[in-house]
Amino acid sequence: MKRALVFVLTLALCLTAWVGLAETKVSFFTGKIETIDLLNEIIEDFNATNPGIVVEQEYQNDASSIIKVKFASGEVPDVMTTYEQEFVDQGKYLDLSGMKEWWDRLIPSMWENCTDLKTGMQYRVCTNMTMAGFFYNKEIFAELGLTPAVTWEEFVVNLSTIKEKKPDVTPWFIFGKEAWHLGHLIEFIPHGYLKQTLGALECKKAMLVNDSAKLNLGAADGCMAVFAQNLLDLQAKGLINEDVLTATSDNCVQAFVTGKAAMFSNGMWALSGILEANPDMADKLGFAPYPAYMPGTKPVVLSAEDSGYAISATSKNINVAKAFLSYLFSAENQKKYSEALGSPSAFTDVNAAWAPEAFAEEVKATLGNAVNIGFTNEKPAGFSGDDAGRMVQDLLAGTYNAAGFAQAYERAWNEGF
Amino acid sequence: MRAKRSDYTHLMSLPALGLFCTFFIYPLVRGVGMSMTDWDGMGEATYVGLANFARFFQDPRAMGDIRTTLIFAVGSTLLLNFMGLIYALLMEKPFHGRSLARVIIYLPAIISPLIMGYIWYFLLQPGRGFLYHAMGFLGTTFPLGNWMSDYPTTMAVLIFVNVWQFAGMTMIIYLAGLKGIPVDLKEAAVIDGATSWQRFVRLTLPLLMPAIRINVVTNIIGSLSVFDVIMSLTEGGPGYATESLSIYILRMCYGSRTGYSTAVAMILFFIILLPVLISIRLTKVKE
Repeated sequence: MKRALVFVLTLALCLTAWVGLAETKVSFFTGKIETIDLLNEIIEDFNATNPGIVVEQEYQNDASSIIKVKFASGEVPDVMTTYEQEFVDQGKYLDLSGMKEWWDRLIPSMWENCTDLKTGMQYRVCTNMTMAGFFYNKEIFAELGLTPAVTWEEFVVNLSTIKEKKPDVTPWFIFGKEAWHLGHLIEFIPHGYLKQTLGALECKKAMLVNDSAKLNLGAADGCMAVFAQNLLDLQAKGLINEDVLTATSDNCVQAFVTGKAAMFSNGMWALSGILEANPDMADKLGFAPYPAYMPGTKPVVLSAEDSGYAISATSKNINVAKAFLSYLFSAENQKKYSEALGSPSAFTDVNAAWAPEAFAEEVKATLGNAVNIGFTNEKPAGFSGDDAGRMVQDLLAGTYNAAGFAQAYERAWNEGF
Repeated sequence: MRAKRSDYTHLMSLPALGLFCTFFIYPLVRGVGMSMTDWDGMGEATYVGLANFARFFQDPRAMGDIRTTLIFAVGSTLLLNFMGLIYALLMEKPFHGRSLARVIIYLPAIISPLIMGYIWYFLLQPGRGFLYHAMGFLGTTFPLGNWMSDYPTTMAVLIFVNVWQFAGMTMIIYLAGLKGIPVDLKEAAVIDGATSWQRFVRLTLPLLMPAIRINVVTNIIGSLSVFDVIMSLTEGGPGYATESLSIYILRMCYGSRTGYSTAVAMILFFIILLPVLISIRLTKVKE
């Protein structure tokens, strides 16, 4: 009896070890907190339908930093959502240009956004689009007879009217404790101006080679100085929140959903948080572009790629990783993904209800009426969006005047190269 | 027989020596090498000599960070020792509820500085924090105003939170020091007619020197390498106004400047080492 028991146990042990050895493990690294649960479900389904393959998801809050450690230590995940130009330049990602079955389904502009400017290859697939502009409270705007501003002058009039008629409401809420948010203001307003006037491709090229004559970042009447002066004027007139340097995004959402803030700048990633804090906001949510603040320009809105997936060039499981991504990119899964993420799908065959209908319509109209810009991926490696945001903190704390800010920005930009 | 025991003793120190070499000597030596390269954390490293060190002293942001770190360290070390000593002298005397009072003073020290920073942020946040609303409720105004816009106030808040958290820890060491002072010496001083102040200055303080040394050294090390409390309260802002050297090192490292950040870490090592050696020397002389 004892011998039989020992035999059975040994057999079970050997089988377990054999199954373990036979399993193909694919590591999937992400920094997107909003899709963890859904991806776990999708991964579970994929693992169940593909015996012998185990995809494991790893989430890290500070994914863009952690991935550097992973690359440095050689523990590179097979699939990842983190994507940086410097990694592209170092050949860290697998060339996905040949994956016709994915690209054929993708909106052409998103395919362009996924294309590396230097090589013309695609190293990531972006499943979604994201937009950024001003979220505004339609109820407050309707009550005061306001419409979204096209020019900066109209924008200031709107803010002044809100302040005058509703003194308890913050006209424009800026959560400046979070440097990335202030960095985004630079990204969408002055960088948006550059992309609009130079053209998307020319602007990218100018940034890549740091063509200072074209960028003209430090000029006293240039896009940076005017942006800084406008912000200082709004601060002096009390048209932005007094606690701009200590307010957080949570404070902003709370103020907005309780009607204590009329508008704020952010991307679609803020949508789920707003609706979670107050589902009634679904009917009151409006979306507007950044008004034109330089002469002869138009309003701009961010329309960029979101949720990019890349495969490591050194992965030992490239085919399995591709199979997993094909499964993830199926229309059925992407519908769920788009609705969970709260942003429209980049695939032409996915019809998802990613936002309340009226809001989604307004976003669509805004995209049609404003100049669409993308994110700046060509920024100097040593000058991040957070660094730019910290400079805006300094500006709002009184360290710079507008001209000094523009000069300091240009200096930091040049040093970043 | 004696020689055998001696050999055995030496062998016993090997595991500790191994750990010390693995986790201190080896990283230090590697760090010295790395600090003389332009390594970005992933690619090939190129030898750049002392360029990283030269660059550090030419960077206005880094110089600002040194100033912030030193102000924080001097303020914190002085106040921590002052408050710790006051607490210890008060808590040495017997009174009802003394044990509870000691626990309450020590309690903040067991909480993570990061969490402590966030707690104080929610208490002190201008316009939204608990104290702002509490003072409004009492009909008074929040005395700190928009403290993040004013550098001296921001630094004062950072030092206050640090002192509030760790004063209990210095108190414990001073209490142990006070316990070690022989009672007959105190009684002799009283019989000789020494006043309370004379007893404190001429008897208590000199005999507390070992405790002062421990507190000063640990406070200098802790304050010069401050990270958590600044990160949670101000994130080094506004701008880089309250950025400490530790935060600078982290940001440089994750900004693909690993070689440079290692050089700054080396500089920080010596910045910490120097005052520690001086304070050890000074308190030894006093002793």
